[in-house]
Amino acid sequence: MLKPDLILVLSYLIISAIGLLMIYSATAPGLEAAGRDPAIELRSQAFFVVIGFIAFGAMSAASLVEIKGFVGPMYLVSVVLLILVLSPLGESEGLAQRWLDLGPIQFQPSEFAKIAVILMVASALAASEVPLKWNAVARVIVIAGVPALLIFRQPDLGTTLVFAFVVLVVLFVGGATMRQLGFLFVATVVGTVGIFQLKIIKAYQLTRLTAFIDPDSHSLDQTYSQVQSEIAIGSGGLFGKGLFEGSQTNLQFVPVQSSDFIFTAVGEQFGFVGSIIVIGLFGLMLFRLFMIAVATRSRFAFLVTVGITAMIMFHVFVNIGMTVRIMPITGLPLPFMSAGGTAFVALSASLGLAHSAWMRRDLPVVD
Amino acid sequence: MMRLGFVGIVFAALLATLGLRLWTMQVTEASAYEERAERQQVRVVTTPAPRGDIFDVNGVKLAGTRSALAVVVDLALVDEDEVDQLVANLAAFLDTSASEIHDQLSVRNRGAQITVAEELTDAQAVFLLEHREDFPGVTVIPQPIRTYPLGEIAAHVLGYIGRPNDEDLKREDVDGTDFVGKAGVERSYDVQLQGTEGIVQYQVDARRKILSLIGEEPPTAGGSLILTIDSRVQEQLQNSLRDGLAQARRLEMDERRVTLAEMSRRERLSEALSEARLAAAEAARDATDAATSTAEEGVPREREAITVDPGKVLASLYDGLPIDSNGVCIPVERITVPLGGASALSGIEPRSVRLDAITEVDGEFVATVSVSGVVESVRFHTSFASTLQVLHIMEDRIVLLHSDPWCPVRATGVILNPNDGSVIAMSSFPSYDPTVFVGGLSAEQWASLSTIRAFQNFAVQGVYPPASTFKVVPYVLAMEENFYPMDRGTGDKEFGDQTAEKVEAVPLLTDTDEYLCSGEFRFTLSDGSVQTKRDWKWPQGHGPLDLHGALEASCNLYFWDLALRLWEERRDDSGIDKENLLQEYARLFGFGSVTGIDLPFEQAGLVPDRAWFRNEQRNNTGRVRSDDPWVGGDLMDFAVGQGAALATPLQLANGFAAMVNGGTLWKPRVVSHIVNGDGEIIDDNPKRVLSTVDLNPRTVEMLRRSLQQVVNNQERGTGWFAFKDFGANVELVGGKTGTGKVIKTQSGDRFRQVDDAFFVGVAPINAPQWVVVIVLERGGSGGRVAAPVARQVLQYLMNGAEGVTELAPGLDAD
Repeated sequence: MLKPDLILVLSYLIISAIGLLMIYSATAPGLEAAGRDPAIELRSQAFFVVIGFIAFGAMSAASLVEIKGFVGPMYLVSVVLLILVLSPLGESEGLAQRWLDLGPIQFQPSEFAKIAVILMVASALAASEVPLKWNAVARVIVIAGVPALLIFRQPDLGTTLVFAFVVLVVLFVGGATMRQLGFLFVATVVGTVGIFQLKIIKAYQLTRLTAFIDPDSHSLDQTYSQVQSEIAIGSGGLFGKGLFEGSQTNLQFVPVQSSDFIFTAVGEQFGFVGSIIVIGLFGLMLFRLFMIAVATRSRFAFLVTVGITAMIMFHVFVNIGMTVRIMPITGLPLPFMSAGGTAFVALSASLGLAHSAWMRRDLPVVD
Repeated sequence: MMRLGFVGIVFAALLATLGLRLWTMQVTEASAYEERAERQQVRVVTTPAPRGDIFDVNGVKLAGTRSALAVVVDLALVDEDEVDQLVANLAAFLDTSASEIHDQLSVRNRGAQITVAEELTDAQAVFLLEHREDFPGVTVIPQPIRTYPLGEIAAHVLGYIGRPNDEDLKREDVDGTDFVGKAGVERSYDVQLQGTEGIVQYQVDARRKILSLIGEEPPTAGGSLILTIDSRVQEQLQNSLRDGLAQARRLEMDERRVTLAEMSRRERLSEALSEARLAAAEAARDATDAATSTAEEGVPREREAITVDPGKVLASLYDGLPIDSNGVCIPVERITVPLGGASALSGIEPRSVRLDAITEVDGEFVATVSVSGVVESVRFHTSFASTLQVLHIMEDRIVLLHSDPWCPVRATGVILNPNDGSVIAMSSFPSYDPTVFVGGLSAEQWASLSTIRAFQNFAVQGVYPPASTFKVVPYVLAMEENFYPMDRGTGDKEFGDQTAEKVEAVPLLTDTDEYLCSGEFRFTLSDGSVQTKRDWKWPQGHGPLDLHGALEASCNLYFWDLALRLWEERRDDSGIDKENLLQEYARLFGFGSVTGIDLPFEQAGLVPDRAWFRNEQRNNTGRVRSDDPWVGGDLMDFAVGQGAALATPLQLANGFAAMVNGGTLWKPRVVSHIVNGDGEIIDDNPKRVLSTVDLNPRTVEMLRRSLQQVVNNQERGTGWFAFKDFGANVELVGGKTGTGKVIKTQSGDRFRQVDDAFFVGVAPINAPQWVVVIVLERGGSGGRVAAPVARQVLQYLMNGAEGVTELAPGLDAD
């Protein structure tokens, strides 16, 4: 009998529930003021939460051994979808073109590309000897590099950085030599400098990246968001202002609060104590993911779990870091809490993959 | 596994970093964030409090408030991209320039509500309401407008209100949209009149949209002042002063006509022109621009040109007489000469003004002036240009200051109740109607009123040598200290060669002993030289008189002698207290220090003594001789209110009040109490004793009798002539004349003496209720011009409005 990891599942469910509550508290006052149904955003997210639960269940039920057979096609499909996004079929909003319009819902292929790349990289490295050979490293860079470049073209710098972070962590844990890692590090530095020098990076991205250092000196919308986010969280104090009592939240001082800045709703309404509880829940979830990685005996499952852990970690740190102004604004969602369907479903599915690895940790290893 | 462990530690560290940062924000610095949140979520709008009214002692309203429709812009309600269009629309609607509206809207203040127009007509208001969409953020609200129903009556006591300056803005209760008192009781009682602003706090969202009312505190109306001023007496005082000033100017003109009668008009013109050339030559020497002077060498002599900078005297002519349309002199006048299109000065450097000629055209004199080479004619209502000073040279006009240093310039009056220090009336001319400040004063209006110093209240801000009116101080000293002059002057005009020390002088021990006032006083200085001082009634003198007679006739010799004896007996080059007996008496009656009246800008005047003199010398102020020490002559001058002595008209009134009321020096006041809207007294300014002087009742009795004699003694009373047609109750009226000698030099070695005229009246003399001080600056002698004005006022006070008779000049008397 396959036993679920109760702590992992519970932390996932609780974080999702808190997320729904926060989305409601952040959107209801504005909707009410506009004379609309205050729960409309809540319902829309709840729909994706249900889908996400199903995806989590489905992935938990599937064996990684079976999934491994579909890795190649999955990877190709995501690359094709990413090309479609950049084609005239893609939907753009503001400066970025990130979505595909699928009738009633919008679909963000980059969210699924994250899973596909993790699976593809894990699959490639699972077959390689340790320590890794240079060609194995090169293969990984190509696998991650193609979708990363496509996403960078959208442009979506945040997600591109997710790829970089995940690949570095997976290579590190997966047995790359220090020399290889050193080379990657130098290449990353050179590449970053090149990006800035060649002005490939868009001006607004640069502003986003630098404005957080001294937001008061900028009058940009970007820094305005971050200043308001900081005020919301800071004014929450030790115990918060209470549910539905957050003045910054109720008066809509924080732009895009329900998606990028959902953590401000926690910080303002539940204060330091609430914030630490949420971070603690993420910590618990990440701890369980580490335990899964330790427990699994399949190198493929191990690397997939490490990749998923790194991805969630990166999202949590960069998103919350952005709301407290220790990280730049990147637009990465807070896993399982930020409003946004594709991200919720994709992250649920990836968590499901790790969960699947846990439940099948004692099965014979077939790498 | 090692590497996985390492990654785990790094991840834990990242989460801990977030926790630490949250601790700093939400625990350590939480209050700062809370404050920032509150500040941006709450909008505070202030509602002005109605300013308190001002009433006279009988309840007549002197200042009030009415409601007018004002245009208020709330910038918080205007989208940024709408601002430019709004500014343009407002400028068109209000018929002003867009830049002006823009400037007004740039003013920052708490409420963000800015008044751009203060008085709308009903039709304008309706237009605004009907075209709301063109005027976003604009509201029409009733706004209080200050009114002064009696116009110029008591203008200087009331003062006026205006927008706060930087100094006012330092007050916590004032912001840029308020009006604050600038002068008079509007200023000194500003806090009480202001009331408390109402505060409305709104909850606003991120778009500054008002969501709900958090709290409301209604404004508290300011308190209303009840003055001690009686507006009817005030009106009489103002009328008499205005007429007195006009009379003094007519008398001045008569005098000039007499002096100038010998010269024909042509001769005077040629003299004027030669004077102008003299001045021109001087100015040309001063001119630094060598090139300009060289260029002018070719100019014909008749049109000798000068180049001057702003601020230089352009022409300085002897006997210049700017006159008004009635043929009466004008003391000072601002003349703006518009420059036509061709002579517009834009871009021409250097800007220079040249006086080319003065010619007579149709009985008027016209100065031809070149401005940067373009000829302009400046037409004066004048018989001659006197001093003409270039104040400003601007692109479209030049502004000249034309002044006549001998024309009677100012009239001041104070009526004080000697029994409690209440000011019953106080006036200063030239005056203004405080209503002109409502809705703002144009720069031109302000300039012309401030040129003549119309906004200053000379009753408390003007300092004058009090002249013979001051003789009451040595009078009281003599009575109190039993101290009289030596009798050496008696009948001996040959006294001159002897030093004062050598005279076998016997002090007059009682005030009944007679002293012969010969008209000329000689005394020997310490270096052996003989000094002569002449009385105003020289050469005939006043004849034999005692202390009382000396005051009644205003004999200088008696008081000089008294001062000289004081000097000789008490002079002390080191210890100063002993020699300052006269100064001590002056200070006892309030001279030399502010009275503390509840009006702003009060001056302290000056009681000169050795210490003051030394200090001035040490600091090189230029107000005293640089070489000699303080000498007996200075004390003699002081004894007759001349020399360095200075007093405000109010100080003079208050000093007299203390002497005739038996020795009580009151703190003068113009406000008696403050009431709220229901008439309940909320604040009080009770009568207050500054100090008391222990006067012998006989001194008071004799002083009153002497003052009564000044007015009633036909033989020698210096005020008798002016009061001869007083009518009933004249025997109850006392007073003292005074004539302050001020020498005004004008051009080069030419000078002429001009006099400040004083009269202090007291009535009823047996139980004084009124002390009346009249000052006419450069008016002439006190007996001639000030006494008749005081006579009218005292007639009104004693016999009512029907008792007032025509103003007529008195006789010259100090």
